[in-house]
Amino acid sequence: MTDPTPHHDGAATAGARPAEVAIRDLTVVYRTEHGDLPAVSHASLELRAGEITGLVGESGSGKSTLALSLLNAVPAPGRITSGSVEVAGVGDVTRLTGRRLRRARGGALGYVFQASQNSLNPLKTVGKQLLDLGRSHEVEDLRALVRRARELCERMGLDADRVLDSYQHELSGGMRQRVGIVLALVLNAEVLVLDEPTTALDMISQAAVLDIVRSVHRENGLATLVVTHDMGVVSEIADRLAVMYGGRIVEHGPAGELLRRPSHPYTRALIGATARIVGDTRLARALPGQPPDLTTLARRGCVFRDRCPLAMPVCEESDPALSEWTPGRFRACHADPVGRAPAPAAVPAPRAQDDPTGGRP
Amino acid sequence: MKGFLLRLAAKLAAGLVMVFTVATFTFFLVHALPGNPGDAAYEGYVLGGMPPELARAKVSVVYGFTSHEPLVDQYLGYLGQLLHGNLGVSISYSGVPVADVIRAAVPWTVLPVLSGLLLSFLVGCTAGVVAALRRNSRSGSLLSLSGSLMAGVPSFVLALLLAFLFHTLWNVLPYGDTSDVTIAPGFTAEYLGSVATHAVLPVATYALLGYGGWLLTMKSSVASVLGDDFILAAELRGIAPATRMRYVGRNAVLPLFTTLALSVGHMFAGSVLIEDVFDYPGLGNLLLKSIGNRDYPLMGGAFLLITVTIVVANILAELLYSVIDPRVRR
Repeated sequence: MTDPTPHHDGAATAGARPAEVAIRDLTVVYRTEHGDLPAVSHASLELRAGEITGLVGESGSGKSTLALSLLNAVPAPGRITSGSVEVAGVGDVTRLTGRRLRRARGGALGYVFQASQNSLNPLKTVGKQLLDLGRSHEVEDLRALVRRARELCERMGLDADRVLDSYQHELSGGMRQRVGIVLALVLNAEVLVLDEPTTALDMISQAAVLDIVRSVHRENGLATLVVTHDMGVVSEIADRLAVMYGGRIVEHGPAGELLRRPSHPYTRALIGATARIVGDTRLARALPGQPPDLTTLARRGCVFRDRCPLAMPVCEESDPALSEWTPGRFRACHADPVGRAPAPAAVPAPRAQDDPTGGRP
Repeated sequence: MKGFLLRLAAKLAAGLVMVFTVATFTFFLVHALPGNPGDAAYEGYVLGGMPPELARAKVSVVYGFTSHEPLVDQYLGYLGQLLHGNLGVSISYSGVPVADVIRAAVPWTVLPVLSGLLLSFLVGCTAGVVAALRRNSRSGSLLSLSGSLMAGVPSFVLALLLAFLFHTLWNVLPYGDTSDVTIAPGFTAEYLGSVATHAVLPVATYALLGYGGWLLTMKSSVASVLGDDFILAAELRGIAPATRMRYVGRNAVLPLFTTLALSVGHMFAGSVLIEDVFDYPGLGNLLLKSIGNRDYPLMGGAFLLITVTIVVANILAELLYSVIDPRVRR
């Protein structure tokens, strides 16, 4: 916890609440025939209780990998090679193994799958899977667990009796999504991670699910992370926003401000590419080029420079560090911040991000 | 429940149609075969020095039919008898009703085939799970290799090999017949033990024949379930490993039940060769002999029984499936 990285003490950011989750200098590497390819590089992010953090980026940007590393569940051949994920009351998740790791998953850390995914065993009723969950976590009072699940179901507008007695194929996409949230929260999780919570849902269900996320988040005082590629979703529910590109967090800050005045050229492009329902749809601008995958990712310099309208010679040389350019807002870019309030003194120093301490002793 | 009964009724009806079709085909195909048992017997009697008139009379008494009736009349007569459960009288076992001959042979096929099938299913599926879980290690690939090799061995080769090794070479297991002829049949330990040791070679053959197929199918099924979202979801919910393995096992074995039902029929057909190799007096052996003897009624009866077995096995599989898969149940 004594990470020296100066730009992440977060003291300047709005809430003074302690971080429920502190991701520090996290690097996740995929072992392949082409060598070790970083899916997440030196990412640092804090999730606070009572705050919804949105994590946005294109597919392949590393956002899902980052979300999974919160549960130390990066799929093989991926591996967390440096950094830490401190969760209040649990410790550094990246060092947990065996039973303690298993109990943290589903315990303090609730993970909700994409709505289009089938996250339930098709051969068992929801109720039976709830009991499996309780037994796996050695819950003594299974009746109380069922009561709590019923309560959560009712709060989400589900008919608890029906749902607990149903198989997955008898539930609609929106209902499955809500059941996923129930199962993630039933053991009193403090951290809720939602992976693409609205993808593959129709607009009405999307709105309903977002409403539910917002209300359970508030009622339970959760630290919530919403992973999505949908700017509409984050603009609707997120308090804070982190933007990922090529495995790096390139910008983060308060959601409203960040959306109104994006600072990183990638964020700007991302917002510019969002088509609007009202107004001229032709105003949406596609970002030229392709997002990098792990094999085409630049090994040196800024990962975004090939698609960046502001690319400069220095971008070839060094990877810009994520730094606070105006109180509460962070970005990783060599170019002059745009949309900044009257110029503060320090322009982020262009230097390679190669923090040798890496958070590990 | 109502839907279930309806489906069952539909299955039964389809099964009856199947049995009828097979009975019809068997009847006409068998009669299209060259050679005629009546003529063969007649010639035999004549060669044995019997006057032709007497020989003809004897043939018609022994075989109980006059082969000069039109085929269609014979067919209708056959169907009529079939409806009354009468399969006719065997020709080669002169005068014995076909039903009795078959009834005596059935247990010696059903028991070895079913126990061999069950054994291969259990062992093959277990090995398949292990092979899938260790598919990136040496032991996993060796297991898969054993499956591929065993799946490629023809049944008669395997049967001959086992007979050679365990009877001819090492003489540790008996061969031929269902029990030691010196032991009186009965519910005695001695007799049952003898039956069991005599059954080892055929059962082992059936089991080994199925093993490779089950292993490979189960391996790919487990591998695909392991990649399913709900398994990862269970892991991220902190579900205990043993429970997760149960999730995987039940989901992976499900599609194999259809194959299991189909393979019952397959095994019965395969028993023809295997019982011949081991000289084991089951249904397959009976069928082979009845073809050699041009024993039409016996042939028809044996074919019919195999058909009924397959139809019944399929219906049972369907029922079983609807018990274990909720998506089919409701």
